[in-house]
Amino acid sequence: MPAELLKAEKLSVGYGRHAVLHGIDLTIARGDFLGVMGPNGAGKTTMLKTFLGLLKPLSGRITAAPSSPGGRVLFGYVPQRESLDLHYPLTSLEVALMGRYGRLGPFRRPGPEDERIARAALRQTRMDALAERPYRKLSGGQKQRVLIARALASEPEILLLDEPTNGMDVNSERAIMELLTELQAEKKTTVVFVTHLLSTIETYARRVALITFDGKLLVGEKAEMLAPEVLAGAYKKNNKNL
Amino acid sequence: MISLLTVPFLRNIMIAGGLVAVGLSPWSVYVVLRRIVFSGAAVAEVASAAVALAVLFQLAPFPIALLLTVASFLALSRLADSPVLPPETMVGMLYAGGAAASVLLIAKAPRGEADILNILFGNILTVPSSLLWTMGAVFGVLSLLQYLASKEFLISAYDPDMGRTLGVRVELWNMIFYGALGVAVAVAIRTVGALLTFTMLVAPGAAALCLTGRLSRAFKVALAFGVLAAIAGVVVSYQYDLPTGPTIVAILVGIFVVSFGFGRAARAG
Repeated sequence: MPAELLKAEKLSVGYGRHAVLHGIDLTIARGDFLGVMGPNGAGKTTMLKTFLGLLKPLSGRITAAPSSPGGRVLFGYVPQRESLDLHYPLTSLEVALMGRYGRLGPFRRPGPEDERIARAALRQTRMDALAERPYRKLSGGQKQRVLIARALASEPEILLLDEPTNGMDVNSERAIMELLTELQAEKKTTVVFVTHLLSTIETYARRVALITFDGKLLVGEKAEMLAPEVLAGAYKKNNKNL
Repeated sequence: MISLLTVPFLRNIMIAGGLVAVGLSPWSVYVVLRRIVFSGAAVAEVASAAVALAVLFQLAPFPIALLLTVASFLALSRLADSPVLPPETMVGMLYAGGAAASVLLIAKAPRGEADILNILFGNILTVPSSLLWTMGAVFGVLSLLQYLASKEFLISAYDPDMGRTLGVRVELWNMIFYGALGVAVAVAIRTVGALLTFTMLVAPGAAALCLTGRLSRAFKVALAFGVLAAIAGVVVSYQYDLPTGPTIVAILVGIFVVSFGFGRAARAG
């Protein structure tokens, strides 16, 4: 049984006093490959941001087991790429270097070792040839690879990705998800991604967390969670609307 | 131009213009990228109102202006996250409030209007040597801060959520950024007035961003444009008997227009 990395108990998440999801019980083990699925607006990103510590839980708690005692879990966060401002004239390498910022103290600038790690991360995501290319001139799939490289450059214990294939064509989607699968298989990186696409979950996730129509979270192995009766139950309200 | 430097008051004007350019133009890259261009204009009005307030109650104008300028920038940075109103609403209200307060307070001030306008809007032609030392020290410290905290300022603006997950104290760094900007604006307004301060906070960065695709280069290009405009403005205004501040502003706008054109042509070609 792999060691626990993060554990949520009776967790409620939302904005202000409004709970979007409630009563969440979820354990993420080291080496996990978990896909979180739910329709747009169901609270996937809210849950992800709560795990990342960007939002406070409305109730319940999250316990973490970082690899260094007394430390904190090192997150590699990959936001939705549309959230980044393309007016900033940054190269792929400069974006990837941001992953090193947490490892440097205040007022310390990235050095040659940080650049070496950032370039290695770009190589892992097969973006090293475009290291000097302006980030804003990259395709959607290439941008996503740079953002994954940025997360990897932080040498994280867990990668958390928010809609990593949103708006991509089938080939780009496959390339990104295969990259994540490789990272998980070769480096045993813990991967959690959220998506609204059933096909992505069906093809790539090992375990699945399903957000139901009434704001609950069902978690289990993929075969179990994608059984027609479970999906029908989870999306009962949506089905009635159809 | 060397001969111009031998005239003491012209030397002071050129040094003052150069210091304001060094102090403000690199910040202009962030001001443009953070989309807070009009915050500079609004805060400049607040600084003017603060000076008028100080004159009315016979207090030292600079500390009051400094305090209110920094406080205004910090307030704008906090209020920008309002869930009800877009950020520019707060900027607009601050601008209107500052402008109205300036006029109302001047109307009741015990000193002569020309005297107050000089304090309010600064006059690069009358900068005393003592103020040059203050400007040099303040802008020197702020430039050093900007260089050393460049990664914190960048991540806090570009991707604050990522910054937070990396352990960067984004709220603190945003406060430091806006506080430092407030100090820079207060010192610059005292010296060269609101119009040149506002233009120096926008035009060099905007022009640089038109021409370069590298952020690190944009800061250097903005600095070069700012200093070039300041020196050229003093020389041109002396040669053609023009007001110095507006001449520098006109040159900065000209640099932006040319850079914008070059940038477009380069991208199209």
